[in-house]
Amino acid sequence: MKPLIKYMAGLAVILALVAMFACRSEEPPAPATGAATEPTTAAAPTDAMEATAAPAATDAVAGNNQGESRLDAVRARDKVICASRNDVPGYGFLDDNGNNVGFDIDLCRALAAAVLGDPNKIEIRLITAAERGPTIQSGEVDMLVRTVTWTTSRDAQWGNYAQTMFYDGQGFMVRKDLGISSALELHDASVCVTLGTTTELNLQDFSNQNDLHIEVLTFEDTPAVVAAYENEQCDAFTNDRSQLAALGTALQNRADHVILPETISEEPLGPVVPHGDDQWFDIVKTVMGILIYAEAYGVTSANVPTSATGDTKVDRLMGLEGSFGQEPLELDDTVAQNVINAVGNYGEIYSRNLGPEGINLPRENGRNALWANAPCQDCPKGGQIYAAPLR
Amino acid sequence: MAVLRQYLTYQGIPVWRHALIIQWAAQIASAILVVALVMWFFGNMAFAIDDREIPFGFSFLSREYQTPIGEHILPYESSDTFLYALVVAATNTVVVAVAGVILATLLGIFIGVCRLSPNWIVARLATVYIEFFRNVPLLVQLFFWFYIILALPTVREGYVIADLFYVNNAGISFPSPTASGAAPALVWLALAVVAVVAGVIVHHRLVRREEETGRQSYPFVVGCATTVGVAAVGWLVLSGIFGEAPFAVSTPAPQGRFGRIDGGVTIRAGMLVMLIGLVIYTASFIAEIVRAGIQSVGRGQTEAARALGLSPMNTLRQVTFPQALRVIIPPWISQCLNLTKNSSLGGVVGYTDLTNVAITMTQTAPAINIFLMLMAAYLAMSLTWSLIGNLYNRHIRFTG
Repeated sequence: MKPLIKYMAGLAVILALVAMFACRSEEPPAPATGAATEPTTAAAPTDAMEATAAPAATDAVAGNNQGESRLDAVRARDKVICASRNDVPGYGFLDDNGNNVGFDIDLCRALAAAVLGDPNKIEIRLITAAERGPTIQSGEVDMLVRTVTWTTSRDAQWGNYAQTMFYDGQGFMVRKDLGISSALELHDASVCVTLGTTTELNLQDFSNQNDLHIEVLTFEDTPAVVAAYENEQCDAFTNDRSQLAALGTALQNRADHVILPETISEEPLGPVVPHGDDQWFDIVKTVMGILIYAEAYGVTSANVPTSATGDTKVDRLMGLEGSFGQEPLELDDTVAQNVINAVGNYGEIYSRNLGPEGINLPRENGRNALWANAPCQDCPKGGQIYAAPLR
Repeated sequence: MAVLRQYLTYQGIPVWRHALIIQWAAQIASAILVVALVMWFFGNMAFAIDDREIPFGFSFLSREYQTPIGEHILPYESSDTFLYALVVAATNTVVVAVAGVILATLLGIFIGVCRLSPNWIVARLATVYIEFFRNVPLLVQLFFWFYIILALPTVREGYVIADLFYVNNAGISFPSPTASGAAPALVWLALAVVAVVAGVIVHHRLVRREEETGRQSYPFVVGCATTVGVAAVGWLVLSGIFGEAPFAVSTPAPQGRFGRIDGGVTIRAGMLVMLIGLVIYTASFIAEIVRAGIQSVGRGQTEAARALGLSPMNTLRQVTFPQALRVIIPPWISQCLNLTKNSSLGGVVGYTDLTNVAITMTQTAPAINIFLMLMAAYLAMSLTWSLIGNLYNRHIRFTG
């Protein structure tokens, strides 16, 4: 029975490979348990390869090893590579001229302006929601800005979350003619959701908690979710509220649809950098801080000062007096001037993409207003946008 | 040189010219190369995992998955483990793969035979079918079918046939047997197996008798009748034993304010799109394989069969096709593999296949481990197709 032997051999190889990895994940004296039933060849190479392979692999791993910092790698290639999207208005979307514009894209441009002095020196890798984890884990991009919710397990497994730049929460959109006024009425409903998102996980929690028996329909791409919803393959679709608003603008008859009042999750969104390079992590945090404090101090792309203004905070931000840590981060003293000239402050980015000139999400008195804009110290009117002080 | 020659000889031949030694050296060299390459790949990965502190391990398999799986043939709760969720997802993939291969093979044989039809229109239509569907990317075809299905009426306005069959853009629902509780599900599963086996045995016997005696005995019809007969008798007997029918019929019906169909069996839109897309695409390749197989059989065979008075249909069934199978099977196996692997595109049209679930799992579990298991699962499925194909190929090969 030659075919049968070949088949068994094939399966044995699969098992051996899996066992090889299984025993890697065990404690050091590994080959004992997991691989014992397999041919010894499966276990043997693991020890050997750790010894031999490390030097060989150094070249193959891009950028962030002991020798070269990511900042050096970025400057050598003269380009910041960001993973993002081009399919949701406001965050990353192709405009009439075919340019990818949006909130996420602008954060990438701000970073390029800070480290390379030119916001256009960016490369946007378009990825699906589900590809975000592997992409940032592999370190092949310098920053992931693709409406990524900060969660602890992602922080542990994917990369480092630099700064929350937008506070979102998950909601539901339904047709008005269903006569529903609350997400708690979605009993036995079919709900469309994008594959590989926290949305998918939250939906299950919400359904379980409220005993709703929601039937789930998952699609790899958000446009397919919208198409399925629009053709009533599902009764509702769920996403972050801001994205519901953004995607709603693309529906044929927006007035026929309503976003339900419930917000079923916390979704802080912001840029993520690969694990393993603290300097790069700090640079991204600082750049985000520059955007936020520029707005707080009233510096816009229209009025970037090039000589001392006498206002210590503004002068320090603009690199005209003192320092806020540019030197250890190997950034120019006037890095903030480059950034604000290139993309404007946080408020400008917001209003261009998410505000009145974009998808028109209200900001006033909401979570995404500046804390610094609160009318008085510690009074509750301010928003949650806040960063480490620049000093 | 002379000294070298004196010592480096084997069986009186210099080693660098000795066929046996050269062969062995080549074998060893290629083995070292392969092992080194594999070690380099895995070493590189191991290094990167350590370097970037990527979490790695299989302990997540026993954790609760806590995530929805849209379509599941096996029972599934969100409190089930990752491992079980993978099994549920793999079952979805296997179902589409097996159903897809069976349907694609039937359709492919039909189209392939049509392509050789003496009827000009039939032959041309088959040609157009093949050239169209095998030259358009599968992904594009899947989106096409996705939008076609979406254009069906919604679940609240869909077609209802006799209150038993529901057709709408969420899927197709029809009645199905379910264990009634009187008898365990295994009992009637066993009955179904016995009935099918009985039918196959009768079919086999009749075919043999037909070959030996030449008397026509309609093996296929009688075989099917046997299956139905055994099932009916078994059902009556089991009803007698348990005091009620061994299984009940579950009929689909709209439920709740959204009118989603519950009960019976529902083939959801995503699975429907995948089946239609994969079957139509793969059938176009199988059709060409079938045509090539039939044309590879010598013309003399057909002429001899016709001279013996066999009808064109019988010539094909009894003479040409059995010989063509030897040419058809090996490339047919690759089409089975392709179909199985292509089912991983399910995510784009909303079908919850193995890849789809695995991608979701990377949200909360180590991606590399999950993709390793995913690769292993597809490899195992592919190897199983190869095994089935190769065993069948041995069964039908020329002997003597």
